[in-house]
Amino acid sequence: MKSQQNPTPSSPDNRVTLVRTFPRFKLSQRWEHAILLLCIAILLLTGLPQKYNTTVWSQAIISSPDRLNTIQQIHHITALVLSALVLYHLGKAVYLIARRKLPGDMLPTLQDISDAWNMLLYLIYIKKQKPAFGKYNFEQKVTYWFLFFSIGIMIISGYVMWFPETITRILPGGIVPAAIMAHSTEAIVTAIFIVLWHFYHVHFERLNLSIFSGWLNEDDMRTYHALEYYQLVRQPRADQVSGDMKS
Amino acid sequence: MLKLSPIHKLPGIFLVVGFIILISLLKFTPTQASEPEQQTEEYCLSCHSNPDLKLTLTSGEELSLYINSDELQTSVHSPNGIECEACHTNITTYPHPAINYQTRRELTRVYYSTCQKCHPDNYSRTLDSMHAQAATAGNLNAPVCTDCHGSHYIHPPSEPRTLIPATCGNCHTQEFTIYQSSVHGNALTQESNPDVPVCTTCHGVHNIHDPRTQQFRVAEPDLCASCHANQEMMAKYGLSADVYSLYSISWHGVDVSVYQARWPTVQHNSAICTDCHGIHNILKPDDPNSSVNRKNLLVTCQKCHPGVGPNWIGAWTGHYKVSLQRTPFLFYVDSFYSIFTPVILWIFGIYIALQFIRFMADRVRRSL
Repeated sequence: MKSQQNPTPSSPDNRVTLVRTFPRFKLSQRWEHAILLLCIAILLLTGLPQKYNTTVWSQAIISSPDRLNTIQQIHHITALVLSALVLYHLGKAVYLIARRKLPGDMLPTLQDISDAWNMLLYLIYIKKQKPAFGKYNFEQKVTYWFLFFSIGIMIISGYVMWFPETITRILPGGIVPAAIMAHSTEAIVTAIFIVLWHFYHVHFERLNLSIFSGWLNEDDMRTYHALEYYQLVRQPRADQVSGDMKS
Repeated sequence: MLKLSPIHKLPGIFLVVGFIILISLLKFTPTQASEPEQQTEEYCLSCHSNPDLKLTLTSGEELSLYINSDELQTSVHSPNGIECEACHTNITTYPHPAINYQTRRELTRVYYSTCQKCHPDNYSRTLDSMHAQAATAGNLNAPVCTDCHGSHYIHPPSEPRTLIPATCGNCHTQEFTIYQSSVHGNALTQESNPDVPVCTTCHGVHNIHDPRTQQFRVAEPDLCASCHANQEMMAKYGLSADVYSLYSISWHGVDVSVYQARWPTVQHNSAICTDCHGIHNILKPDDPNSSVNRKNLLVTCQKCHPGVGPNWIGAWTGHYKVSLQRTPFLFYVDSFYSIFTPVILWIFGIYIALQFIRFMADRVRRSL
């Protein structure tokens, strides 16, 4: 599908190496991720100074009541964008389910639990081999589902804090302080999770930019998504160009 | 034989030197040199003990010139030797110089400045007060020293303590009446309670400031906390001393603390203690007339949150710690995160640490 020239001008034979690439994310998914990333970054940047209002860095950002007002407005607008994104994501999932077209790759399975167990055994040198993963390994599923639920909590609690007077017309008042606590705590847990878990896996372990570029190269496919790779390579289907070699 | 070294003579030298210093101190210390020549009282009273002695001012007002010598003896000044002439500096003998004041008030406002002679600190504090501002603005009835303390018969102003609200109440009648029926005022009048605040506890004494300013507003929770966060004092009355600390982590309290610390002059309306509990009319929360009584709470909330429904009062955690009975939702969320957060972070942390160790170990092994 896509080919890349390995630029090796200094090599003696000056061979052109072909690297086969495999599509991993659709354009819409890449946009979803980019918007999500931006939203979370802005929400954290505008939310954390409000939470840690006694710190020096927070007071540098929130330097006046007007600035506080602006920051809250940015937070609210970004929250609306994130809500729209979540609605789009859920709507798409519902649409795909209705058409029986939802790829089940991201759904957690029992296999993930045994994968996690085997991975743990591998990490403590009991097993020699890493388990072979499909399109999404259990680490990536944990990332997705953790953020899925924490964004859910953030959005619900956020709207309770934004419109407490309206919401308590229907729901009991006690949810307002509960929402404040949940919003504040969940934000920290999520931020730590992203930095610890997600950043480790996509930046440190290997630089995985497939969510931006849309594709993965053959080496990475074979190493990290062996099941998917062999499935694609051995059983190339007519409707699936991914395994095809084109140059 | 032992020879006496100079060191053995030291105590004697000390004694002699000390004696000389003592003598010189006694000799040359000006003993009460500042005491005025005050043998005036007896002399003045020879005329002024006449109850009928009076003067008519140009405004037609009568000025009584009678001094009750018995009561004068109970004043803080007279028995301490501070007599007539100390204040009436312009009158040294009889006949007196002519009095040119139009009204009694004019006379008072001139005479009171003699307080400054001995009480300069408190005098200058009053110049910084709301009362001085009112006088500058033209209200000649704004109080001066003698209006609160008295003139000839000056007693310690806080003996008894119940006297203080009555003194302020001479002018601030409405506030005084309301205060008397409040939980604080009631305890003061009924049982002479030594802990409840009187006017000056909150408003200050000489440099009383305008309580309607934003600075006063944002500092007000601290003012209440000076008693209500005092464990020992609150325990006496079976009250919680956590009300302030719980308020300060609440939505209102956080807001107010930010404004207090950083923008104390910027207008801001997050609720402070008095917004809900009242000011001079504070009642016990279980009093049916209290603004924070359960049945009045919604109306109180609606002052700032117009149109909120009856569920709204449940949003107020009510100065109580998180508990299943009082704040069930908060309790569940709190319990959830107190387990979820450490569990999640430990599991993920350990997993990433193991991954990192294996990753580095493999890398080192490959490079060998």
